[in-house]
Amino acid sequence: MSHGGALFEIGPIQVTSVMTTSLAITVILSLIAILGTRNLKVKNPGRGQKALEYIVGGLRDFFAQILGKKRATAFLPVLGTLFLFILFSNYSGLLPGAGKIPGFQPPTGHLGTTVGLAIITFLTVQIGGFKYNGIHYPAHFVKPVFFMLPLLLLEEVIHPLSLSLRLYGNIYGEETVLEKISELIPLLAPIIIMGLSLLFGFIQALVFTMLSSIYIEEATAEEE
Amino acid sequence: MGMAEAIVALAAALAIGIASIFPAYSQGKVGAAAMESIARQPEAAGDIRTAMILAMALLEALTIYGLLIAFMIIGKI
Repeated sequence: MSHGGALFEIGPIQVTSVMTTSLAITVILSLIAILGTRNLKVKNPGRGQKALEYIVGGLRDFFAQILGKKRATAFLPVLGTLFLFILFSNYSGLLPGAGKIPGFQPPTGHLGTTVGLAIITFLTVQIGGFKYNGIHYPAHFVKPVFFMLPLLLLEEVIHPLSLSLRLYGNIYGEETVLEKISELIPLLAPIIIMGLSLLFGFIQALVFTMLSSIYIEEATAEEE
Repeated sequence: MGMAEAIVALAAALAIGIASIFPAYSQGKVGAAAMESIARQPEAAGDIRTAMILAMALLEALTIYGLLIAFMIIGKI
């Protein structure tokens, strides 16, 4: 597994395999979204429209369990995009040649990507808190008693840190295990690990977005 | 392999080994409790499953920290 290592450089920016793969995933997701939502119909929706409606509706119902229907709809764009991006990049590690072909490396197996995703969550939580509770949002840092302030401030930083480390560690560990098993027993044995990776890739994407939605729920809860 | 490297290798093994014992035990408890609850109240299975996955993810993070430390130590050999 060759982590890091620049493919080529544009000015001061080093373009790595992780960057090209995440760009490819972004393009694929955008193309699916743009091509799938042309010619939307209310009567007799096409197959593509039905599939996309199933995905979006399923995600919204899932987040509605935690956030409630109104806030789930408001935060669906960011949470749903996070989920789909993480799912696609987890599964991209299962395609043949991942990590071996230059320019193709699962982005979530790299700490930079997961920290970036966690920063998006962090900003969403803070901005959402100010948007829903206005000027009273910072007051919840001293809510039960005043000396909770350092603990609660620390918590806000630890949340995104643990989010990113969890996702990175899982995917990186999985990649390493898969590589070692393929070296040890090249026939059939990797299939079992790949089957497990399918399950864990989905669960990790789910857990990342579920925890994000719980943090958002805490920040945007109505003050009594 | 010299004595120093052997000790470093042992440290990596201990980091992931100890870090997986207690989260594994706790995950077992979480799974058992969730299954018991589903058996008692099968109609709440969806909610219980969501809560179970969440609790397991929080426990699993501890093991993952150990795993990352183990990788870092192995990189030092």
